[in-house]
Amino acid sequence: MRRDPLDYYAVKVTFWGVRGSYPVPGPSTVKYGGHTSCVEVRTESGACLIIDAGTGLRALGQELALQQQRGEKDSRYDLVLSHVHWDHIQGLPFFEPAYLEGTHITIHGLRVATEELRHVITGITRREFFPVRLEAVPADFDFHEVTPQRPFCIQSFEILPFALNHPFGAVGYRVDADGTSIAYVSDTAPFTDVLHKQHFLPGPEIPTPEDKRALDEMQRSLIEALTGVDTVIYDTHFLPEEYERFPHFGHSSPDHALDMCTGIGVRRLVLYHHAPSHTDDMMDDIADHYADRGKALGLEVITARERMELDVGPNAAREASS
Amino acid sequence: MKVRFWGVRGSVATPGPAYLRYGGNTTAVEVRTETENRLLIDLGTGVTQLARELMDGEFGRGEGVLPILLTHTHLDHIQGLPFFTPFFVRGNQTRIIGPEPTELSLTETLQNHLNPHYSPLYGLENLAAGVRVETIEDGASVELSGFRVRAAAMPHGGMASLGFRIEADGEALAFIGDVEYPDTGPLSTALELAHGVDLLIHDAMFTDEAYALRRGWGHSPVSDAIAVAESAGAKHLALFHHNPDATDDDVDAIVAWAAKRSRVPVFAASEGPAFSLKALSSKA
Repeated sequence: MRRDPLDYYAVKVTFWGVRGSYPVPGPSTVKYGGHTSCVEVRTESGACLIIDAGTGLRALGQELALQQQRGEKDSRYDLVLSHVHWDHIQGLPFFEPAYLEGTHITIHGLRVATEELRHVITGITRREFFPVRLEAVPADFDFHEVTPQRPFCIQSFEILPFALNHPFGAVGYRVDADGTSIAYVSDTAPFTDVLHKQHFLPGPEIPTPEDKRALDEMQRSLIEALTGVDTVIYDTHFLPEEYERFPHFGHSSPDHALDMCTGIGVRRLVLYHHAPSHTDDMMDDIADHYADRGKALGLEVITARERMELDVGPNAAREASS
Repeated sequence: MKVRFWGVRGSVATPGPAYLRYGGNTTAVEVRTETENRLLIDLGTGVTQLARELMDGEFGRGEGVLPILLTHTHLDHIQGLPFFTPFFVRGNQTRIIGPEPTELSLTETLQNHLNPHYSPLYGLENLAAGVRVETIEDGASVELSGFRVRAAAMPHGGMASLGFRIEADGEALAFIGDVEYPDTGPLSTALELAHGVDLLIHDAMFTDEAYALRRGWGHSPVSDAIAVAESAGAKHLALFHHNPDATDDDVDAIVAWAAKRSRVPVFAASEGPAFSLKALSSKA
């Protein structure tokens, strides 16, 4: 029986790594998880998109390699990267499908400075860093350099990249598939105190009028991209008081994420990229506090946990108009 | 001497409930003398935990002194570098002493790890404490904060990893964390490092069965760790660099297997409180 796409949840999002900066093993991270950034997006028809390649990618890769070997999954993989700081790429050398014959992996990411994406990515397995060169594994690699505001399609996903405010440059993605949408907004600072450019910031740098225009433009295109999105996954690394001390680190607080997502037809906000110092007890408090704050604003706010699976509902905008 | 394991895991950190007893952080080992001089081996993710403790003391005030021995520059051994907060407090005297990795120098390699694509730090020059990077040659000895240290290059896949013999307080320990010996067996240089030590900490990433399928990966089967301990006359053996797929129960099984075969008392390194080498001997 054919179902209307609006009648059922078509896209599943699985969180394989929710931590920022570095992996945090130990008893205080068992509930929310200690692996760094990695999210899997799957449609009911089996299309699969992987966003970011932090240490969480290792466990996902072990599952996908099994599925591939059992013939339940094809040998094509698409990894889209927000940026290439270690916590977002460190799982790549441990991605098991890369070690299977016939695997084809396309890496989609932002080109910054003059270095090609291919060069930056293969650089993580230089001989000094890792025993097996990416160029030497059985899988084929393709590299696709994305440009903010230039949409592209992968399998059955329509993807819009947009610029984020993070050291050396990062992009977020809106992903539309099967009549619904998610957005991945990590890593980013808010669009107020600091404009991240391509130099080291030892402390906050007061934005010039030109910087402010660039920040406004970044925020405008982010809001445009998030408008009507069902589920937004947002970098909420810091508590507000922590952000006050480190506004130049390139991360937001849940308050910043609430500001961005309220009043633009977003149904659900997922707090993500938790600071490594945030224990499970702290995360419980954060989760409760912001769930309540969200309720008051008409927004469902949940806190990402490792292995959490979310069914992403019908596109909020379409639902609102029906 | 006292030893504290802050990270015992190989290859990649393993958070999660299956790794709580032995710990999921990558290589970081703190060694202290009775007079509280400190030495650190490697900058794996375990150092992020050590950093919190150090910052509560003289390192938080910019008065800390810490020599850091680096075995090699694989990611699991340097990943904690940009998050080791004592590097950011002016006044702390920190040195990284390690091998030249490849045709790239040690400094170039660490700079490459912190380059702006990969790290918001942009480079070593932005560590406010101003870390000194020095190289140590195969076979060289050096005095560091009251420790006598000898280094020897061990074969580790396509490159070399340093093993260390560390002496202080009239005691000795050897650390050989990443090594795969040739088919002819443990190298004489490894046996020399471990000769008569109170504690040998040795790579035991693979069970002997798993090793048969992983030759050339640069790591040791448990039986090689035992062989070095026995041949060198080590008094205790700590199995180290646990496989990221080895859960706590798996490591328990490896220790039980090793205990049956080893004439040297053996245990698996685990994250946890410091222990003194003396206490180890009185326990045995």
